[in-house]
Amino acid sequence: MIDRLCDQAGRKDIAVVGLYCDFLSHQEQSTTNVLGAILKQLSRRGEIPKDIREAFQKAREEFGGRGLQLFDQVEIMKKITASLSRVFICIDALDESTPQHRQELLQSLQEIVRGSRNTRIFLTGRPHIEDEIMRRFSKVVRIHLSPTQGDIESYLEMKLSRDTDPYAMDDELRADIMRVIPEKTSKM
Amino acid sequence: MAAGNVNSFNVSTNHNNIVNIITETDTEEDQILQWLSPLEPQRRHQAVRTGRLDGIGNWVLEANKFKEWSGGKDDSVEPLLFCCGSPGVGKTYLR
Repeated sequence: MIDRLCDQAGRKDIAVVGLYCDFLSHQEQSTTNVLGAILKQLSRRGEIPKDIREAFQKAREEFGGRGLQLFDQVEIMKKITASLSRVFICIDALDESTPQHRQELLQSLQEIVRGSRNTRIFLTGRPHIEDEIMRRFSKVVRIHLSPTQGDIESYLEMKLSRDTDPYAMDDELRADIMRVIPEKTSKM
Repeated sequence: MAAGNVNSFNVSTNHNNIVNIITETDTEEDQILQWLSPLEPQRRHQAVRTGRLDGIGNWVLEANKFKEWSGGKDDSVEPLLFCCGSPGVGKTYLR
């Protein structure tokens, strides 16, 4: 998804940032780490934004380099997004984060979107977190994902072509796999 | 001999200074990036990219809902798109 948006964007004033929650430990996925990672990606697009540089210098002088607080991160996010024509924030596997982190993150995202309407948020997760999302965003665009028959066939063909033990395969077995698995998954 | 030593000392001092200056300018950027967050999400993104099979799930990206959300005018669309599905269905691997 990130690549698709990047291809589509292709313009300097459109930013695509994001991260995956599933591989983070609970400690790592604190909301300040996550928002910090988003700010970090925005900083890597070219020059580090002025607001970030200033905040860093201020933190170094006043508190010996203490990290940004959530409130400040949100404020900086609003300023940066306002300076661009559109910002896509993609967060994958939001259901893998703890309920407390999720609440905090959703609240922060809500504030960012309120501050700058040119922000688009893309979230993925299992259906059960939709209620939590709806508490923060009264309306969402929802796409329910389930693989099409074609998707499953392409995936199986790819897996079979990379079979590490091709001698164990014959036409009959191959035909059975290609028939049975799509049948079963369509009933899932 | 003495002059030669001084010279070589100077050269090495200058050399060190230059190296230090470069490192310092590098590290301010790096320091800021590190200060912002210890996370490096692009590493995981590379792994996902490598494991992805082109074409799968493209119907999602061709769907009108997606096109409107990503390309529509700011005030005419809902800013949040939620893509939901069971575990293992391929949410992460959408291109």
